[in-house]
Amino acid sequence: MALGFTGVLLLAACASTPPAPTANLQAAQQAIAAAERSEAARYAPGELSEAHTKLALADTAVTERKMVVAEHFADQSRAEAELASAKTSAAKANAVNDEMKRSNGTLIDEMKRGSGDKP
Amino acid sequence: MNTTQHSEVILRRTLIATAVASILLAAACTTAPVKPDGAAEARVKLTQLQSDPNLASRAAVAIKDADAAVRAAEQPEVNKELAAHRVYLADRKVDTAKALAETRLAEDQRAAITAERDSARLDARTHEADAAKGQAATARAEGAEQKVAADQARSDANTAQLAAASSEQQAAELQRQIDVLQAKPTDRGLVLTLGDVLFTSGRADLKPGATGNLNKLVAFLDKYPDRSVSIQGYTDSVGSEDYNQGLSERRANSVKSYLAGQGIGSTRLSASGKGRNDPVADNDSAAGRQQNRRVEVVISNPPAALR
Repeated sequence: MALGFTGVLLLAACASTPPAPTANLQAAQQAIAAAERSEAARYAPGELSEAHTKLALADTAVTERKMVVAEHFADQSRAEAELASAKTSAAKANAVNDEMKRSNGTLIDEMKRGSGDKP
Repeated sequence: MNTTQHSEVILRRTLIATAVASILLAAACTTAPVKPDGAAEARVKLTQLQSDPNLASRAAVAIKDADAAVRAAEQPEVNKELAAHRVYLADRKVDTAKALAETRLAEDQRAAITAERDSARLDARTHEADAAKGQAATARAEGAEQKVAADQARSDANTAQLAAASSEQQAAELQRQIDVLQAKPTDRGLVLTLGDVLFTSGRADLKPGATGNLNKLVAFLDKYPDRSVSIQGYTDSVGSEDYNQGLSERRANSVKSYLAGQGIGSTRLSASGKGRNDPVADNDSAAGRQQNRRVEVVISNPPAALR
């Protein structure tokens, strides 16, 4: 009886099989979709590809009933996709600024050229 | 053994079993407290972000999330896979917070870049006006390129009219005078276009030294006393309508005052402002706007003599 009790405790502590981490997998898929909508493939291809890889690993783990591992991969996939989105927005914002600065430079150059023509 | 003794034995055994189970659990799930590999690196990156004055305040929520993730990663954890997982999340969240802060920084810098552009535009406009002083004739010729053929045809027709109406010699002399003035014969009469070279940007008083062409006009009017002039100021489309209307009137009046000051009878002079109306070129380009900023002097055809 005592041994049985101990066994239950051990099982409860370390060997329980949780259900598939559906919510985590969905969150990862949504984060990847959001990153792709924001053109992450162009601005953060490494991160986006890593997010896809992690999601595939999570799906494989689910089929192998390794639900804790699956949950971890799903969460990693989501974190990677969110990083891809953040890097994309930073790259776009900087590109806009660079373009604005470039056009300012052109304006100033034109002005200098104009005054240079002055007799 | 009575019932009470029996119960005590069972209780004692249960307690022992529980203690063993506890030890097993402890052994299974904890060891000496050591920070997982990689947690320190994540902490260093986070600290750099938090101490960057340009970034720290620009993604407060994301930085707070990253901080929580780093703290979780720093917890001693015997399960290597779990420890590595937490470090992975912490690392990505710090990077994400940094990228979001950089995005906000770039957005916040736009106001300064826009101000820089406005200032450059203002400078460019001022320079345009200044540079135009020496380039007015060229600019006018360039701007009128498309109209040259039409103008030439009209000019020829006008010349022919003049020739028919008066003597050959008079017409030739008038044409020479018109050429000197660089005035264009039009339906309204001879139109002499003065670029914005006469004025400092935004001002209505004539620039000293910018009166060469006006003096030719004075000479012309002295020679042909039966002709009167209508002076019309125009502006480009930059700025408010009221401002442009007022500026165009003041500029036209400046030219009128100058001519009156040179001895042209004020009954022969009229001045009006047209503001941004009747542009002669596209207001979308600097060159077009420069052409639109002008004073036109319309020299009336004489009542009958030359018609």
